[in-house]
Amino acid sequence: MTIKIAVIQFPGANCDLDAVHVLNDVIGVETSLVWHNYFKEADFDGVVLPGGFSFGDYLRAGIIAAHSPALDEARVMLKDGRPIIGICNGFQILIEAEFLPGALLQNESLKFICKWVNIKVINNKTAFTHKMKQNEVLAIPIAHGEGRYFTDNLKELEENDQVVFRYSTETGNYESAANPNGSLDNIAGICNLEQNCIGLMPHPERASEAILSPKGTEHGRLFFDSMVEFIKRRIR
Amino acid sequence: MTKVNLSGEEVNVEMTKEEFEKVKELLNREPTITELGGFDIMWSEHCSYKSSRPKLKLFEDAEKDYDYVLAGPGQDAGVIDIGDGYALAFRIESHNHPSAIEPYHGAATGIGGIIRDILCMGVRPIALLDPLRFGHLEGNPHSQWLFKYVVKGIADYGNCTGIPTIGGEVEFDRSFENNCLVNVACIGLGTIEDFEHAPSRAYNPGDYVVLMGGSTGRDGIHGVTFASRTLTEMSEADRPAVQIGDPFTKKMIIEATLEAVKTGYVRGLKDLGGGGLTCATSELTGDGNTGAKIELRKVFTGEPGMTSYEIMLSESQERMAFIVKPEGLETVLDVFKKYEMTFAVIGKTDDSKVLKVYDGEELVVNIPAKALSESPTFRRAEKRPDYLDHLLAQKTPEPTINLEEVIKKLIASENICSKEWVYRQYDHEVGVRSVVKCGEGDSGVLRIIGTDKFISASVGVNSKHCYLDPYEGAKGGLVEICGNVIANGAKPMAMVNCCNFGNPEIPESFWYFSKSVEGMNDFCRKLRIPIVGGNVSFYNEDEVSKTAIKATPQIMIVGLIQGYENIITLPFKQSGNDILIIGETKAELGGSEYHSVIHKLEGGTPPSVDEEKILARWNFLYELYQNKLIKANHDVNKGGFIITVAEMCFKNKFGADIDLTGYNFNNLRDDELLFSETVGRFIIETSPKDFGKIVDLAKMFKVSVNKIGVVKSKPEISIRGLSQIVNLNINQMKQLYDSTIPNLMEI
Repeated sequence: MTIKIAVIQFPGANCDLDAVHVLNDVIGVETSLVWHNYFKEADFDGVVLPGGFSFGDYLRAGIIAAHSPALDEARVMLKDGRPIIGICNGFQILIEAEFLPGALLQNESLKFICKWVNIKVINNKTAFTHKMKQNEVLAIPIAHGEGRYFTDNLKELEENDQVVFRYSTETGNYESAANPNGSLDNIAGICNLEQNCIGLMPHPERASEAILSPKGTEHGRLFFDSMVEFIKRRIR
Repeated sequence: MTKVNLSGEEVNVEMTKEEFEKVKELLNREPTITELGGFDIMWSEHCSYKSSRPKLKLFEDAEKDYDYVLAGPGQDAGVIDIGDGYALAFRIESHNHPSAIEPYHGAATGIGGIIRDILCMGVRPIALLDPLRFGHLEGNPHSQWLFKYVVKGIADYGNCTGIPTIGGEVEFDRSFENNCLVNVACIGLGTIEDFEHAPSRAYNPGDYVVLMGGSTGRDGIHGVTFASRTLTEMSEADRPAVQIGDPFTKKMIIEATLEAVKTGYVRGLKDLGGGGLTCATSELTGDGNTGAKIELRKVFTGEPGMTSYEIMLSESQERMAFIVKPEGLETVLDVFKKYEMTFAVIGKTDDSKVLKVYDGEELVVNIPAKALSESPTFRRAEKRPDYLDHLLAQKTPEPTINLEEVIKKLIASENICSKEWVYRQYDHEVGVRSVVKCGEGDSGVLRIIGTDKFISASVGVNSKHCYLDPYEGAKGGLVEICGNVIANGAKPMAMVNCCNFGNPEIPESFWYFSKSVEGMNDFCRKLRIPIVGGNVSFYNEDEVSKTAIKATPQIMIVGLIQGYENIITLPFKQSGNDILIIGETKAELGGSEYHSVIHKLEGGTPPSVDEEKILARWNFLYELYQNKLIKANHDVNKGGFIITVAEMCFKNKFGADIDLTGYNFNNLRDDELLFSETVGRFIIETSPKDFGKIVDLAKMFKVSVNKIGVVKSKPEISIRGLSQIVNLNINQMKQLYDSTIPNLMEI
């Protein structure tokens, strides 16, 4: 049985084609771009909610897309343990749809920030991180205006191993200069309790080919390789 | 403003009395008010290029002269064939006047407009570049306000539409204080088939005219005639004429348009920009040698009670007009429905060669389709300004501070310092094509996915040089921008320009335009670079302070690199390597940053261009590339070559031992040698073992190459061979370089 992954195209998504390119051409897994109204969970083994400005980020980033029928479909996948990743705007959507806890606020600088940062792997047991080493530092770019993670339940999040990535220095330290947007406790990405759904602000699809990385790394591939491996194990 | 008599009533128009007479002559009757509005807009300077057209004839024949040019001047964008079945479209235009009044929406809709120009060539917009001009930031809240919101406007619009902003440039100068310049450029990529599918004309009678996108409202009515007037205090009252952008709708339009073009049922495509529906329908039919019947009330309007005049002339953003084959109408409309875009079939083309617009039963426009594009042209008088002799004769005083202090002041000056504050706000990576990113090279380099090809793009010009000598300044701009793409390993393929000048009715202002065009044309013909498009923005003068902007013929170059291994970057790579300078330095401090920052002088002798020497250097560099002899390359720009060396040290925290003893063969003063902005020079990093080979090649190509130093691991630059020893700490230099704009902008 071949693995099939969907990248959901919300109106205003703009990293959709980039994710499709990486999954199809770099990772080599059959991936379709699916218009949000047409998405049917039964056809797919995993799903990517890509970055962008779904519905123009009007009202609040991610909130309108969170009410798309695509999220009802994805909820079925969430419950039966299929892998779901939300990247940047996709993360915002997953939070607004309550797949993941917390909130994403405007960057501390009040400005959009596009730059390469480092994130440290805190939980390497999830569907998207099991091929990473714990405490490994990944080079990966961010590009967002509203990515400051906040929760009033940090303790619970930590106790449940739901913090997946923290912004750090290249050597893995948590200095304030390593935190690009003012996220609480440097949090860059989190997962659900069952660890089949993750959301993060950085863009793994932009870090999956050496040609695009300042230091020739391909850390973004680890996300998608983990995802494919996770699906294979589930199917078996 | 002119008053003319229309059926016994006085009407205010922007056109002259003579032009009004010509309209009557063309129609053989009095125009209706809607027709008059159309002529008034289409014959404005902005739409008709009536002052510039005679001069721009120089640029005309790119398509004939170069077999890889698919579309040249006069089209919505220039298009070139880059091989492997791909076409590249690009264009640059201005959005100066709206941005000076309302920087956020002015800049944003500028981006919106240039994206539409590329989209209507049938290709996907893949990159933006924005050259900007403002007054000095220091102590000037107005300039800070314009700068902050122009950048934010570009960022919010570009980021949302998912088109990376991969480059640009900023200059700060007193003359732009109240008339900032916001030029916007866009690059599009598609297959040659995509491009051929969607010409900007309606050449087949019986096709449907479909309007798709945002609704038509009262915003931006007469935006065009407004852009062709000089800014005055009254302009604040023009605020409603600045359009509001909606990048989300634009993103939907991009996707819906590209998908519609892919169906094969779209026969023509045109964006609605200046002049709105009037411009789009008349150009589609006029250029296609057809006519059309348009039903005005089918247009979806954003507010009730709009008159035919308002609907035809509205410049509401985010609208596209499609010419659709009858058999494919349903298929195309289904695409629009998928994207939940509003659309309306507003008419049909015919073979009448007449544009007829009905408001219900009433015929409100009935004019020959070509008439609107047949504006009269003007031969403007030109005169070299008298003040130039005095400016050019200015001598450089001896500096009162030592050279170390001068260099530190220069690296921290607004025009030289890092522009990271700007490009961090732009998503410059979306699209996964950006290989050389903002701040990493002289140009932005994008990969063409699925090929081993890369494109390199850069934009800019030196306004201070052009102010002193527009002919040499425009050529110098070309040398510099071509130098940017060459420094990254590319060969320049084609050029587009955006001419920003003062009031063309003033002979001195028109002289600047005329000489710049001649400079660009002479250079491009000699160096075989096709000019594939241009845009002209006149009336950039501030009537309050009675100053014209410094002449700014912005130049954008797109180059091509074959093979990833042939991309060259700017940072030094290894200590012990040689630092070589290509090209001699002449006493050319006129218009330099050194004159402006240290001596508060605007004059002096500006750089001039020797095309033969420039071409020899380019060919020499290509040869070095071919032989893999170059580790790093950076072209010398503002502030002179020591600034260039410092920038090459920054990224990998290297230093440089510089010895100028053998280089000063022109016997220049220390400051002339270090800070002259002689164009066409490069600093390259090479391996010491290759030195002999490089010198031999230099002789063969008749190029001046001198070793001026060695890369070292300690982060400091020491300079010998001058009348004083100079030592600079790279970490301190970097700190100065990085902090200027954040310190001025982050209050």
